[in-house]
Amino acid sequence: MTILHVDNVRKTYGGNSYALDGVSFSVEKGEFVAIIGPSGAGKSTLLRCVNRLIFVTSGEVSVNGIAVTGLSNPSLRRLRRTIGMIFQHYNLVNRLTVLENVLHGRLGYKSTIAGTCGFYTASEKNRAYEILHAVGLHEHIYKRCDQLSGGQKQRVGIARALIQDPTLMLCDEPIASLDPSAAKIVMDTLRDINTRLGITVVANLHQVHVARDYATRIIGVNNGRVIYDGLPKDLTIDIIQKIYGSEAHDLILADGDTHGTH
Amino acid sequence: MHVPTPHTPLPRRPFDRSSFVLSATLAILAVLTIYGFTTFDTNGVDMDMALDMLGDNAKTLFFAPGLSNVTIEGLLKNLGVTVALGFLTTVLGAVIGMVFALASALNLAPVWLSVVVKAFTAVVRAIPTVLWVLIFAVSAGLGSVAAVLGMTFHSAGYLIKAYAESFEEVDAGSIEALKASGADWWQVVGQVFIPSSRAALMSWTFLRFEINFSTAIAMGAAAGAGGIGFDMFMASGFYLNLREMGAFTYAILIFAVLLEYVATKLHTKTMQG
Ligand SMILES: Nc1ncnc2c1ncn2[C@@H]1O[C@H](COP(=O)(O)OP(=O)(O)OP(=O)(O)O)[C@@H](O)[C@H]1O
Ligand SMILES: [Mg+2]
Repeated sequence: MTILHVDNVRKTYGGNSYALDGVSFSVEKGEFVAIIGPSGAGKSTLLRCVNRLIFVTSGEVSVNGIAVTGLSNPSLRRLRRTIGMIFQHYNLVNRLTVLENVLHGRLGYKSTIAGTCGFYTASEKNRAYEILHAVGLHEHIYKRCDQLSGGQKQRVGIARALIQDPTLMLCDEPIASLDPSAAKIVMDTLRDINTRLGITVVANLHQVHVARDYATRIIGVNNGRVIYDGLPKDLTIDIIQKIYGSEAHDLILADGDTHGTH
Repeated sequence: MHVPTPHTPLPRRPFDRSSFVLSATLAILAVLTIYGFTTFDTNGVDMDMALDMLGDNAKTLFFAPGLSNVTIEGLLKNLGVTVALGFLTTVLGAVIGMVFALASALNLAPVWLSVVVKAFTAVVRAIPTVLWVLIFAVSAGLGSVAAVLGMTFHSAGYLIKAYAESFEEVDAGSIEALKASGADWWQVVGQVFIPSSRAALMSWTFLRFEINFSTAIAMGAAAGAGGIGFDMFMASGFYLNLREMGAFTYAILIFAVLLEYVATKLHTKTMQG
């Protein structure tokens, strides 16, 4: 079953350069897709076109068979609540507690009034607690998020996405701000979500070796175009060089090393 | 590298237009002040006696406060009236301020709406509170109604700007995250904007309450809005009762110190997050 279909998508932010320049691919249910590419390649733009945080300039994106460009606001909300998203900088509301942040994942299912005032049902709260248990944060539910470490914040972000009951999970550089051990916990959690819950994962990753270790498929992007789309094991040094251009040298040196490319 | 020895003369500071203008202004003001003192017409005034009386009056004002035309209950009641005027106009201003701040923060409203609201409130703020009260007095008559309307108007203009700026500082990432999960506009306001800026909103509102309290004293006298300001006006202009003036001044001072204390507490809380 096709979860995500991207068809000849172009995106320009004005001017005559394209952040995305005719990108096409499909993702089947259960895949773990890593999108790799140098800084400015268009990875974040591509991910945001999927849930229409960014409007495509031309082309079409469909999620679960629904074309996103023509959706009305209520339908867009209904679609977005089936797509979880996590971010490099976690994007939590720091002044609120862990539990409140996780419950934000239910907003798409709630009435405007209940959501605005933060009224959640007992079963929603219990569900949030269960998920926090699963990601190992059950001891911190009433802590304010600014008191957590980066790795813990990212797990709150994952919990917030999971409570949406998503069919697709978008991850924009989920480990780029984490140290290697926290990064490993987050990546293992994502793999767990993918294999055990059957949620399709599409993740922008900066480190080629992480992509190789976790993904079932790698898409290499450079300058708004797909350069490579295939299995991790077929990703040769030549192709990495083509994807990363001048950055490739550092990457190949760093490959296999847990610190990645920064 | 060339290391300056103690014998190297310090290079002169280059000519700087703005500091030149500043020193010139200060010098001219100093000359004018001295010139002013020398040209005072003190012919009809016995300076010794005048200074004596000034001292006496200050002593009465500050060391012998007392009430005669007004009872202590009356004083407290009228202080209450003034506080109420300040409080009411702050609350009304805060409600209006919140609505229009949502319509003018750039991360919440479309650009055209934001520009319109911001331009309008800039005009409202540019006209001082007293003038607004006088403008409303044209239709409402000089009195408490004009004072409430005028003070509310200016408070709203002030709080719209303060709130909108607090909103514009909210982290764009968390807004994006909630939108991505399917939250609608109001839900993002309630779950991201309000919690993230609550401390700043409270701090700004309280600051405006302090301003409105002192404006309310002045309006009591100037616009006949009643309260302790009107009592002071009567005591000073009508009864020439310095002891009563002293009592009023102390009452206001105590209340102002109290406000300041609460404001500082609130501010510290804001700084802590
Ligand atoms: N809001 C924006 N306005 C204008 N140009 C933008 C905007 N966002 C991205 N771009 C441009 O679009 C191109 C792609 O950016 P994008 O953020 O998608 O890259 P990326 O692959 O995610 O890079 P990184 O690894 O640094 O996150 C870049 O050239 C960038 O400068
Ligand atoms: Mg990016």
